[in-house]
Amino acid sequence: MLVFIVRRLIVSVFVFFSATALVYVMAANLGDPLADLRELPANRRENAIAERTERMHLDKPVIVRYFLWLAGAFRWDLGTDRDGIQINATLEDALGATLQLVLGATILAIVLGVALGVISALRQYSSLDLTVTFSAFVFFSLPLFWVGSLLKEFAAIEFNNWLADPTIAWWVIALIALLIGGFFASLLVTDRRTRLIAFGGTTAATAVALAVMSATGWFANPGLGIGVIALTALAAALGFSVLFSALEWNPVMKSAVITAVIGILSSVAFRGVLENPYPIVVIGLLVLALAIAAGVGWFVGGELFRRPAITASLCTAVATAMVIFMDRLLWSFAAYSDSVNGRPIATIGPSTPNYDGTYWEHNLDSLTHLALPTMALVLVSLASYSRYSRATMLEVMNQDYVRTARAKGLPERAVILRHAFRNGLIPITTLVAYDIATVFGGAVVTETVFGWRAMGSLLLGGIQERDPNPIMAFFLISGGAVVVFNMIADIAYAYLDPRIRLS
Amino acid sequence: MAQTAQSAGTHTVTPGDPRPPADSDAAQGLDIKARTQSQLILRRFLRHKGAVAGMLLLGFVVVLSISSIGLGPIPGWWDKNYVNSADLVNRGRPTLSVVPEFLGGGGMHLGEHPFGQDNIGRDYFALTMRGTQISLLIAFITGVVATVTGTLIGAAAGFFRGRLESVLMRITDVMITIPTILFAAMVAVMWGNKGVAVLGLVLGLVTWTQVARLVRGEVLSIREKEFIEAARSVGTSAARIIVKHILPNVIGIIIVSVTLAISAAVLLESALSFLGMGVQPPDTSLGRIINEYRTAMVTRPWLFYWPGIFIIAIALSVNFIGDGLRDAFDPRQNRVRD
Amino acid sequence: MGITPPPLDTTAPDIHGEPDGMLHGGAEEVHTAYTLADSKPPLDEEVLKVENLTVEFPTDDGLVKAVRGVDYTLRAREVLGIVGESGSGKSVSSMAIMGLLPKNARIRGRILFRGKDILAMRAKEQRALRGEKIAMIFQDPMTSLNPVHTVGDQLAEAVLAHHLVPRRQALAKARHMLDLVGIPQAERRLRAYPHEFSGGMRQRVMIAMAIINDPDVIIADEPTTALDVTVQAQILEKLLEVKDEVNAAILMITHDLGVIAGMAHRTLVMYAGKPVEVGSTDDVFYTPRMPYTAGLLGSVPSLEGEGEERLRPIVGTPPSLIRLPAGCPFSPRCPLATAECRESEPALEAAGDSHWAACHHSDRLAAADDPTAFFRADGEPAAAGEAEPADGVPARQTVTTTEGTTESEEGQ
Repeated sequence: MLVFIVRRLIVSVFVFFSATALVYVMAANLGDPLADLRELPANRRENAIAERTERMHLDKPVIVRYFLWLAGAFRWDLGTDRDGIQINATLEDALGATLQLVLGATILAIVLGVALGVISALRQYSSLDLTVTFSAFVFFSLPLFWVGSLLKEFAAIEFNNWLADPTIAWWVIALIALLIGGFFASLLVTDRRTRLIAFGGTTAATAVALAVMSATGWFANPGLGIGVIALTALAAALGFSVLFSALEWNPVMKSAVITAVIGILSSVAFRGVLENPYPIVVIGLLVLALAIAAGVGWFVGGELFRRPAITASLCTAVATAMVIFMDRLLWSFAAYSDSVNGRPIATIGPSTPNYDGTYWEHNLDSLTHLALPTMALVLVSLASYSRYSRATMLEVMNQDYVRTARAKGLPERAVILRHAFRNGLIPITTLVAYDIATVFGGAVVTETVFGWRAMGSLLLGGIQERDPNPIMAFFLISGGAVVVFNMIADIAYAYLDPRIRLS
Repeated sequence: MAQTAQSAGTHTVTPGDPRPPADSDAAQGLDIKARTQSQLILRRFLRHKGAVAGMLLLGFVVVLSISSIGLGPIPGWWDKNYVNSADLVNRGRPTLSVVPEFLGGGGMHLGEHPFGQDNIGRDYFALTMRGTQISLLIAFITGVVATVTGTLIGAAAGFFRGRLESVLMRITDVMITIPTILFAAMVAVMWGNKGVAVLGLVLGLVTWTQVARLVRGEVLSIREKEFIEAARSVGTSAARIIVKHILPNVIGIIIVSVTLAISAAVLLESALSFLGMGVQPPDTSLGRIINEYRTAMVTRPWLFYWPGIFIIAIALSVNFIGDGLRDAFDPRQNRVRD
Repeated sequence: MGITPPPLDTTAPDIHGEPDGMLHGGAEEVHTAYTLADSKPPLDEEVLKVENLTVEFPTDDGLVKAVRGVDYTLRAREVLGIVGESGSGKSVSSMAIMGLLPKNARIRGRILFRGKDILAMRAKEQRALRGEKIAMIFQDPMTSLNPVHTVGDQLAEAVLAHHLVPRRQALAKARHMLDLVGIPQAERRLRAYPHEFSGGMRQRVMIAMAIINDPDVIIADEPTTALDVTVQAQILEKLLEVKDEVNAAILMITHDLGVIAGMAHRTLVMYAGKPVEVGSTDDVFYTPRMPYTAGLLGSVPSLEGEGEERLRPIVGTPPSLIRLPAGCPFSPRCPLATAECRESEPALEAAGDSHWAACHHSDRLAAADDPTAFFRADGEPAAAGEAEPADGVPARQTVTTTEGTTESEEGQ
């Protein structure tokens, strides 16, 4: 196995070198990098051309220029662009911004896409499945730049206008409530009656909540409050203990509920600390919460339920922490909204320039800037994950060992999680790893639409100016990501599949 | 699939459908007609509602774009072209109306400028149709070139193995390492000004890697099958094995690849044109139109919607057709013990 | 018939007690045949009773009537063999017992386990039965074990699904079961993955998994079909041994008459979704009263037969389950078929002491010396062995065989 990975690594390095050579030669032949200088008045033309020729080594053959670049790249010196600006500095800024853009979007797309795909596979041919499958086709066919522009118009400009007087018309409330109720009901596998009750209950609850929020102007001045935090935390505890064990008052549920209660109490206890914390404090609190949850799971779970109890407690802790975080962010929303002239959802760039505010307001600033590009990226890339997960799960659910698992009398939850999904993970992980490497491509378009100056502008600028060095910097990162993630795919494959691991 | 597709094209009876003596059909209850493989595939395809809807939609888009403004020197039925300006009618808004009068709408008519006019008064319907024609042409050329190249390379790598395979697969690896948008943007800048056909060709030459991987995998698995072994054991030549046995078995995956490649090409071309690197003036394409008018989003939103809708219509219909074809060629994927 | 079973009168053997002779760690080489005659006899108690079971599947081409009314009773410690060609409904009916049929299946009738109707139970009660009281062994051991979990985990999981015990204890039981089914070095093998086992070993693991909760019924669905002939006998012996170990009854589903002959107390022959002959294995084998059974027996090579004797396969293929022929579904392939057979479907009728057959002409079979002789292809001995089974009655054999050969040319 190790031999295999090392061999793959060596081959990948050679492949990568060949690719850099190919890209460099093409980038050097895009056109005349001196075109703009030839327009200059005669007196400055000579000098400028000579200077750029010298800087770009245009007097040397392409192959020599490639090796000059390669020699520099080995020392992590990526040279300068045609105007003499160091690429290294540009790249570091650009990479930071692009990662900020694609990281959250990619994780969100993977989690949502895989979850939707798995659920629709488990409910094959249901209305949920048909909706998800059809939507996947539509999203799959959407041009990213078109969606991005559309979101700018509706999710930002119109939404910001609406926030000035945030009331919802009754028919919109009804529509949203019906949609949410329908979605929730279609998740359940029970008889028609229970499903109808679930549909009615969810629809009514959503409608009432929306009506109250609309009437009280909640959207302009949002927040959750201890009640909602407590409710969500307990619901999470219940949900996770059912997912990892069963719907009964056993040690798993006990430990998840204890974790949730500790979380609710500490949200009150740490109120002062969370007023305007340092980032390190927030991370520290999260680590503390996880440690406590693990401890609770360990002690309450006992010998029989240790593993599911710890898992359920950890998940509950993360969910509770997220709700508390959300609550804090929402409380700051009104202040933030005021500080940006009542137009909170931003359409341009990664952050408000020179913004000054609390920890929460800074986070909100980043989030409101990330919201639209993330939404666009998620919508467009969600589809391929969900389609692939659905196909994989359908295939896995048909395997003989899943039938064996059922024949053993395992609960359906264990059949799906431990047997079907665990096997489905092997191809899904591989696809995801291959696919992550391509996010830089999507980022180029997204950055252009939303006016981010990051990896995309590095590439586009380089191509427009016929300047190889910025193009190579883009390729070093994006192509490097392809190689690295292909390696990760291979390793993940071996890790997940004992047939490969042990051979 | 391998077993059933084996008889594709030849008119043998499919397994499981023995042809009983005609006179005893009814008595035996075995009156299922023997179907050829291609009939079975067609039947399964036609049963896929999305695929049929996709066929109709794509057919509609193709016929509309060609018949309306004509093709080359042949004139179409639409009386305006995409070059001449005219006075703004209704401030350039679309005059298309589809809601009948008895429903309180403006009646069902096209009007003077069904898709509206751009800021200098050009007919936007004619312009969108022109963009649709070009986008379809590029997508089709790119899809076919990518599939043919990918199939040749994948099949050669899968069938001959050894040194040839490793060389071909390393080339494929090198191509995969380069992000599509980077590769496509560079070739588009280098050759895009030579006309849309050339642009389609070069885009095809940088996007064949997926097809090559798919075809190679399929060929690799088929050449291990018993019937290939059998053919080889009776001294069948390599050429005959490829044509008679391997090709019929990979034809399904190749046809599906064409559709996937075409829908990817529509989106790739429009993204490139949007970035200003695809189709160059005086030609135009749907992506290019969106790019030209994207600043007019707030004032003239129709300039943004129409080309987008046509991009989606093309990509969506091709995707649905591809899904239907995959199900038709490989029913195993679909048959689920629910 | 009374369906309320008496309480289990024999105490279940304590498998942790490791009775003598059961623990032969490396006993693979020491091959001692364990036959049905050596095993414990059946009790009167009825553990499983299937009444008028029908299963249908709606498909695009029409309603598939996979099972069209099956009745049988399985007594404690009994081995009941169910024989039939593929598509005869034998597997589908057993899947119905396990509740493993796809959701679109339409199941009617009653399946009584110790007097309680499984089909009327809630999903949770059904699940409590699966793997705990009724266990199943599947055909293909290569694909029936999950490749990503260790054998020990998969065995322990079966225990943990029904018993609230620590994992450690479940693993200990798993180890003991591996010992019992004759897997050497059980302790080490617990941590191995299925791909590290041979086919026969995997089927032993499947047997261990089936008996780990001391079930009352073991359904073995073609348990040896995918295995080498040499391994087949060992697996069957092992199955008989462990049956006695846990006092279970076995439902042995197979198309292989040889398996039934050595293993089953009683045999049920199925054709086109219905039982066509039921009786003690000896009765069914030596005095078949249904031409289909006779045909099946004639298509098996026999060591006792004279060397030059040809096999006598049943011509034709099983009928479509969507459009069954009128009358007896076997009539198109039956050498004895008359107009009556093509008009009315015969019901199961007594053909002897606890022996039933569904045939209008079972008396003609009773009168014959060698019932399989009806299937002899007169004057055309070569056709039987080589040609693809063609449809039609023997009178037309010559014609149909020729057609069959020309048509199948491409395929061969």
